[in-house]
Amino acid sequence: MNKSNLIENLVGLIFNLADVLSIILPVLLSVAFMTIIERKQLAAHQRRVGPNTVGYYGILQPFADALKLILKETVIPSQSNKVIFYLAPVSTLVFSLLGWAVIPFGQGLVLSDLSLGILYTLALSSLGVYGVLLAGWSANSKYAFLGSLRSTAAMISYELILSSAILIIILLTGSLNYIEIIEIQQSIYFIVPLLPVFIFYFISILAETSRTPFDLQEAKPDLQKIAGFFTEHSSVPFVFFFLGEYSSIVLFSCITAIFFLGGYNFNEIFINESIFNLQAIILGLKTCIFTFFFVWFRATLPRLRYDQLISLCWLNLLPVAVAFIILIPSILITFDISPY
Amino acid sequence: MNNLFFIFIFVPILAFILLALNVLFSVHRPDEAKVSAYECGFIALPGQTRSTFQIHFMIVALLFLIFDLEILLLFPLAVTLYQVSIFGFTIGIVFFIVLTIGFVLEIGSGAISLVNIEQSNNK
Repeated sequence: MNKSNLIENLVGLIFNLADVLSIILPVLLSVAFMTIIERKQLAAHQRRVGPNTVGYYGILQPFADALKLILKETVIPSQSNKVIFYLAPVSTLVFSLLGWAVIPFGQGLVLSDLSLGILYTLALSSLGVYGVLLAGWSANSKYAFLGSLRSTAAMISYELILSSAILIIILLTGSLNYIEIIEIQQSIYFIVPLLPVFIFYFISILAETSRTPFDLQEAKPDLQKIAGFFTEHSSVPFVFFFLGEYSSIVLFSCITAIFFLGGYNFNEIFINESIFNLQAIILGLKTCIFTFFFVWFRATLPRLRYDQLISLCWLNLLPVAVAFIILIPSILITFDISPY
Repeated sequence: MNNLFFIFIFVPILAFILLALNVLFSVHRPDEAKVSAYECGFIALPGQTRSTFQIHFMIVALLFLIFDLEILLLFPLAVTLYQVSIFGFTIGIVFFIVLTIGFVLEIGSGAISLVNIEQSNNK
């Protein structure tokens, strides 16, 4: 290989790195700010002030927390499977961060414009379960094990609802590509014709990210104080679970904005003709609506019992989802509607 | 090298860098009580987790396998619904009817209701 080839390859690598960093760094920042937003918003719901010491209005609190947790000692239980004990949090973080690779932030502003983007997202959200399962199993502590069993069963159950809701979106778009789904919503946002679907979709992503009406690994009195499947994890492995959870909250909010609120489109007020590409900001604002919902539900709703959680999924939501999977294509076929 | 491949390499490296930072900067002084399994108030017995657990979780996992496969099998139909039109849709309906019969059988056999299992355990 001659010298110019080598330089070309090197420049290509640097551009790749810049591309990836331009996605990952804002995502990590948004995850950090998501934690402070949650604390401030919960405080506002309960008429408290919330964290307000570190930085202005406490906005540097997450960075202080992260630095403190990095300086903490990692305790590895002697009877645990050491390799899996480390790999489980790493896999949780990695799979939730990799989901951002196919999210379009604007026309052409996407890391990898896969034609099967939705299948990619579904696959990664399924793989996220492995982190939970392996963490509980490898810690070799009965509390972690019980917590991981409960979380796993809940997550895989609600994944059915999630994929059926996405299936209905696919019925209306006829494509598995994110950009086509966004472009087809220029006429109407899918939240208008598909409002019931949106409701059970949102319930399922609440359960999928194990957020508050469904954070059942912490629900029963025996597991209440010890944080479910990551009982034994401390310092950076714990941070990974935390980052992974909040990253998937932001990711699912973003995906919800793409599916139901038209992603980066906002044609009513704003047509993308300006010098600055404001599409990404619009997508960000729409994402903020759903992250607000996540915290709002945490402040408002009481938890379900575990058997209620499972029967809500299998006996109530799944029949409704199946009914909609039959109803929507029936309407499309009967009235010979071609959305694409 | 395309971007998707690059992010698959980059993100795990980022995670391991954070782990390495922790190893560099934090103290590491394990003692016997610290590295034992968490237990509330008394000494943990080893080997409690590699034993049995409730069959309910396994049943949910099995049901999930079948239903998730079924929904993923419908994705090609959803993508091509306008091309296959009424014929493909009829096949999909037949598929769903068979599946619904199976689902009703599962509910009837009490596979999903955790409460029944708990009550029978208490007897």
